[in-house]
Amino acid sequence: METCCVVIINDKLCSSLLVIILDTNPIWWGKKRLSGEKLNLTHCVDSVAVLANSHLMLNHKNKLAVIAAHTDHSVFLYPRPPSEHTSPPKAPLDGQFEVFNQVENQLRSEIKKLIASDKQKLDEMFEPVELPSDSLVAGAMCKALCYIHRLGKECPIGETLTSRILIIKGSEDCPSQYMNFMNAVFTAQKQNIIIDACVLDADSGLLQQACDITGGTYLKIPQPLGLLQYLTWVFLPDFEMRSKMTLPPRAQVDYRAACFCHRNLIDIGYVCSVCLSIYCTFSPICSTCQTTFKILGPQKLMKKKKKI
Amino acid sequence: MADDDDKGYRWETEYEKTWEELHEDESGSLKASIDDILHRAKKRLLTDRVTNVRLGMMRHLFIVVDGSSAMSDQDLKPTRLIATLKLLEFFVEEFFDQNPISQLGIIISRNKRAEVVTQLGGNPRRHVKALQTLSSQACQGEYSLQNSLELALSTLKHMPSHASREMLLIMGSLTTCDPGDVREVVKTVAKANIRCSVIGLSAEVRICKTLCQQTSGTYNVILEESHFKDLLNSHVTPAPASTTTDSSLIKMGFPHHGLGGDTEEKPSMCMCHLDSKTSEGFSTAGYFCPQCKSKYCELPIECKACGLTLVSAPHLARSYHHLFPPEPYKEFLTSDIILVGKVCCYACQIEILDPHVYVCEKCEQQFCLDCDLFAHETLHSCPGCASFRELQTVQATSLS
Repeated sequence: METCCVVIINDKLCSSLLVIILDTNPIWWGKKRLSGEKLNLTHCVDSVAVLANSHLMLNHKNKLAVIAAHTDHSVFLYPRPPSEHTSPPKAPLDGQFEVFNQVENQLRSEIKKLIASDKQKLDEMFEPVELPSDSLVAGAMCKALCYIHRLGKECPIGETLTSRILIIKGSEDCPSQYMNFMNAVFTAQKQNIIIDACVLDADSGLLQQACDITGGTYLKIPQPLGLLQYLTWVFLPDFEMRSKMTLPPRAQVDYRAACFCHRNLIDIGYVCSVCLSIYCTFSPICSTCQTTFKILGPQKLMKKKKKI
Repeated sequence: MADDDDKGYRWETEYEKTWEELHEDESGSLKASIDDILHRAKKRLLTDRVTNVRLGMMRHLFIVVDGSSAMSDQDLKPTRLIATLKLLEFFVEEFFDQNPISQLGIIISRNKRAEVVTQLGGNPRRHVKALQTLSSQACQGEYSLQNSLELALSTLKHMPSHASREMLLIMGSLTTCDPGDVREVVKTVAKANIRCSVIGLSAEVRICKTLCQQTSGTYNVILEESHFKDLLNSHVTPAPASTTTDSSLIKMGFPHHGLGGDTEEKPSMCMCHLDSKTSEGFSTAGYFCPQCKSKYCELPIECKACGLTLVSAPHLARSYHHLFPPEPYKEFLTSDIILVGKVCCYACQIEILDPHVYVCEKCEQQFCLDCDLFAHETLHSCPGCASFRELQTVQATSLS
């Protein structure tokens, strides 16, 4: 009897927010389709909708947000901003829970809009320009963190809101977003927000670091067609439940830095003491902040010894 | 002696009529007026930050805690010492979060002596643990400024010339008991390029003021506990580097992390736990120095065998936001931006009901005040600028 009460109390106080960031890069998905891969965007959106609905089903206080990281911008797929005029959701015919129906419909219609606007842009162009094949995940992460921050503030007193971010990504990393990405990761770490990553294609070094720093799970799915199963088994359970499960082992994370001069990964490098730029060889002037460096020669060592 | 400080004493200034700033709105509530003052204060803090100066990024900071009997006063609850230690715990966490490649040490001064509680190091957990054990100890005897300064000096003077050397003294006592001439020590400290800042818990003390003036530190006396917290927090962000600080290229290693999954690998002791009696640190996992292959269980650290500074890429990335902060947003009236319909915050999708809206000049998106503060204080990047392709390339080229 006692334990039962405790469970009920806990149930009342905790709610969980899941923010899903879905990579909707048209180039990557298009390439997948051309290469004859079975997994396509429709299939992926279906799986995400099932995951989203299962998360909402776990607890009636659970909250959800879905953000699309597109190739040139990022959009909230769910919930939509209040400025938009939306028709009141119709009651589904088959007696499905209204919210589930709403989530599914909104995801689909918003992604349709995204693709339509892309197509329109392409049609307006005089000659085809090659679109970048990476997505702006960092922007979507910043938005997600702001949204989490807002819900945390709106959360009634006495209720705890635990939040996590799940990134479902296929396209490659965007190197020009490194700083924004890392800033988002450190903010998440500070706010105790877990970042999970589900990678559909090649391994992503940045996401590996993000998951390792925030204590989330990183998974490169071995079987793209089984996406839904991976999502529900690995990414649906919350942090407390995960310790009781046998999840894929943590991957080895490469924490080496890339030098600013050649973008090579290095083991030993030189760091500017003023702006912390990383170089692979000694250079007398820092190219980022234009500082001239003292050359640490043997003369300096002699001086030091005298001092002591 | 004439006071060479420009602002004079508080009791000499004109009486501030703080209540005149408050205005009632139509319903007779003060809330809007108070909110407005708070908002302005928050915005001012952000705009006050000086940009485009060289910062001392590699900090070596000693915190000197007063452990004299003056610290058992109960004007801060429960006692001055316990309140200080509690706040310092937060400070240590914040400090390493913002300055990951910096080092920190703690000194306590009591019984006319000064003793090292923790040596300079980069591990926040060790310092927090030490602070927790301190809180159970009694406050005894008198405070000694000279002994504290000399003790910190003996370590700090050996630090490399490109590092910024700092001391933060938290002083509850109004007196200091010194074996020699404390003014001589102050001169040596100033010559050694150590920046000393003092937070006084009771009243202004002449020698502390001289110390801070000569070493270009700051001297503040707390008003109450939240002011104390603000003062401590102001020491979290790196201060501008003094002109005499050298700049140099520092050789650093980025160690490989071994997980220890291989069965063929033999377990070994890590270099940081060599002296411990327990089996802690005895495993196959760890970070291996790329130069001499010594093993460590934590980063950042200076290799004990070859002296190479070992860091990981995220440690450096954590400091970048001090160097490349997002630009402040411009404040606009909501009614000027949009005439019909609702305005929504670009980042959190909330409907902006506030009469003010904040706009980033680069990406031209609108934000609410909460997101403005969050983006500048915590996130350190603009959610709008990070979400547009055109602005990515701009940012990348301006960096390289």
